[in-house]
Amino acid sequence: MTVRPIRIHASVLPGIAVAAMLLLLAAALLAELAVRATGLTLAFDRELARIVAFTTMQAALSTVLSLVVGIALAWSLAHQQRFPGRGLLIAMFSAALVLPTLIVVLGLVSVLGRSGWAGDLYNAVTGRSPGFSIYGLSGILIAHTYLNASFVVRTLVNRLEAVPPENRKLAHGLGLSAWRRFRLVDWPACAPSVRGLAVTIFLLCFTSFAIVLVLGGSPRYNTLEVAIYEAVRFEFDLGRALALALVQLAVCAALVAFVGGLRATGRSIHGAATMFAHLQGPAVNRLQRTIIIAAAIAFALPLIATLIDGSRAEFSRLLAEPVFARAALTSVLIAIVSAAIVVTGSVAMALTRRQFTLANRWADARGSPLAALAMSYSASLYLVFPALVLGLGFFLLARRLGGPADLWAVAALITANVTLALPFAVAVLVPTAERAAARYDRLAVSLGLAWSTRWRAIEWPLMRADIGYVAALALCLSLGDLGVIALFGTQDFTTLPWLMYQKIGAYRTADAAGVALILLSLVLATFIFVPRLFSGARHAAP
Amino acid sequence: MTWLHKTLLAAAFATTTTMAATAEGGKRELIIYTYDAFAADWGPAPGVKAEFEKVCDCELTFVTADSSIGALRKVQLEGEATPADIVLGLDTNIAEVARATGLFAEHGADLSALSVPIEWNDEVFAPFDYSYLAFVYNTEKLETVPGSFEELAALPEDVKIIIQDPRSSTPGLGLVLWVKQAYGERAGEIWRALAPRVLTVTKSWSDAYGLFLKGEAELVLSYTTSPAYHRIAESDQRFAAAMFAEGHHLQVEVAAIVKSTDQPELARQFMAFMLTDAFQDIIPTTNWTYPAIETANGLPEGFDPPVAADKALIMDGADVEANRKAWIEEWRAALSQ
Repeated sequence: MTVRPIRIHASVLPGIAVAAMLLLLAAALLAELAVRATGLTLAFDRELARIVAFTTMQAALSTVLSLVVGIALAWSLAHQQRFPGRGLLIAMFSAALVLPTLIVVLGLVSVLGRSGWAGDLYNAVTGRSPGFSIYGLSGILIAHTYLNASFVVRTLVNRLEAVPPENRKLAHGLGLSAWRRFRLVDWPACAPSVRGLAVTIFLLCFTSFAIVLVLGGSPRYNTLEVAIYEAVRFEFDLGRALALALVQLAVCAALVAFVGGLRATGRSIHGAATMFAHLQGPAVNRLQRTIIIAAAIAFALPLIATLIDGSRAEFSRLLAEPVFARAALTSVLIAIVSAAIVVTGSVAMALTRRQFTLANRWADARGSPLAALAMSYSASLYLVFPALVLGLGFFLLARRLGGPADLWAVAALITANVTLALPFAVAVLVPTAERAAARYDRLAVSLGLAWSTRWRAIEWPLMRADIGYVAALALCLSLGDLGVIALFGTQDFTTLPWLMYQKIGAYRTADAAGVALILLSLVLATFIFVPRLFSGARHAAP
Repeated sequence: MTWLHKTLLAAAFATTTTMAATAEGGKRELIIYTYDAFAADWGPAPGVKAEFEKVCDCELTFVTADSSIGALRKVQLEGEATPADIVLGLDTNIAEVARATGLFAEHGADLSALSVPIEWNDEVFAPFDYSYLAFVYNTEKLETVPGSFEELAALPEDVKIIIQDPRSSTPGLGLVLWVKQAYGERAGEIWRALAPRVLTVTKSWSDAYGLFLKGEAELVLSYTTSPAYHRIAESDQRFAAAMFAEGHHLQVEVAAIVKSTDQPELARQFMAFMLTDAFQDIIPTTNWTYPAIETANGLPEGFDPPVAADKALIMDGADVEANRKAWIEEWRAALSQ
């Protein structure tokens, strides 16, 4: 493949613009803090080293567990196309990631906690109390796996469904064992996505804060975010907060650099989800169904607990409260705007990044590896950008530049939402975009397609299913935690997750559970219906 | 996704977030920074606003931060240019930090009507309510009610408590100070004895109380007034606060006038109003704390009388500031064993 793709130059500009903007924004926010701080104050004491060591260990374990569970489940779901309720299951797996953490924690506790269903069942059967406790490292790992395996599942099912049917037929025809088929057919389809997923999950677990505290059970388990919180709130030591944030960003940079050299495998992609369950042995089919059923139960129970808790709320009063209508409207509006920006930005980045990684494009050019790395880094860095620092930076920036505080608050909120969803979106879209180019570049260039024609004929049909998922993910992630704009003091401005926290903070747990139920329903509906809007011609790829 | 793009979108949203930034009809405006729960629809703010506007010929605006510390930090960041006239909701543990910023002026209010458990003659910070930390339990589930930290530590193996992290939560910090004041040098020892009782340490009061109501632990660190909420608002009689022989950590909430206020007269009028029945009668069933004066109506039915004044433990703010880091480290080391 030595085609010189002259026509693709201009396509790198939007993605580079997005990446540059993200990096500039991060630099501007950190600079605001640096101006206010009297200097970096960071004692590299044993405590800090201990926190970094524990956090790295915890995040690594969480990542491995999430990947193992996610890959097994994606493999099973991809091969069991006719499993009853499959679509609903996939929507449900997606819901976990985007729910406010407190809902997930309380849901998990309903099942695995001290007075949880699992313990009650064990007690009823054996007459003994279970020796298991969700509080401790196990609880942290369970919660992280619960949240992140779902993301792995949803991403990899698409990859596996894109394996050309002829490859599968061939593998079956050669009489390969199930394991060999997985190694030779399924794994290569997943591999390009797995590294991106691993980085995203690792960084997410590295900065996990509320879960580590609430399920950790002891201050022995700790994260840098707690230290940042303490530095900003109690000590008002902006220098220390900045230094801690930089430590976090440095860890992220090292990690992204370590796994950042993603290269597309150049394998062909195909839109058809043709599976051959009948060709698999009965043992493999049984295994896959068992995995699906076990996972369905494990993932559904905490959500069912949320629904049961929520159903006790007094909905006639709750829904009639003016604050509820205000929160719901704000949440939905903010989510739509944020999701639109996420979709546009992530598509631009995915289309640009492939330019620097594909062998038939500029992969061999000097500077390409660095450009690809910078693009990965610009999106990933916000996974480890502490929310407190983001909010503080925006507040200081707003004061320097002037203008209405409300406008700045909205901008900060949308930025927080966008930067929260963007790393996931990019992780999903980059492999798809790369494979579209790997397969069709030569054809497109030889036909001399204009970029708009090419987009309609090649990228859109191949990417629309993933774009639909990214849209749903961004919508749900953007329903709104207002922590980031707390400093702006916008009391009329509220969102559903914020309303839920406010209600719990005022003893109104039944109301809070009602809001949680509404949030969960909203999220499930989004994951069921939004991808459908995008999936119209999913199988019509050439 | 340009900045212009974002700004335009933000402008579209601004209509949903319009605030009472400008007073109607040229009325004077008093701006109070406070914490989230105070300004909530169900908090004291709506009642306070209605009552004060009856007498002040002005408009009262509450601006919220996530916490009282957040409100203070906001004023600090804004400096002289802050629109805030008053900051309301700081507690005694953070008041010294606030005083040291030099941003606050004398309140000029008559404090003679005050009825808080300690002598109070601060010229900058005026109290408006108070509460005591306590371990709250479900009377139907806990058999032996502990009467001290030592009894709490000696409870059976399967009795658990949920507490909050002093690095992220105000009651969490209060508990560290409570144990320190009750036991002094022995605080570390008490914490090591309590460690096996601790089910988990949460980021905030909300997380802890949510887990407690789900039945995860027998006791939770909260306030002596928490059971009153369940009794009055939910007619639920199951909850009670364990009374400790050592006494209880007292948390007094205060307000102060910001020096740079453009409404000094109005601000002083509010500070005086804060210590009248009209304001104070709103406090118990909206903030679920004790009023700072004895009002004609007294405490609502279902409210326990406050802990006796000789059992009130309160620490000097300067001491807290000087030792906070060391005491939190002592707590952390003991619980990390």
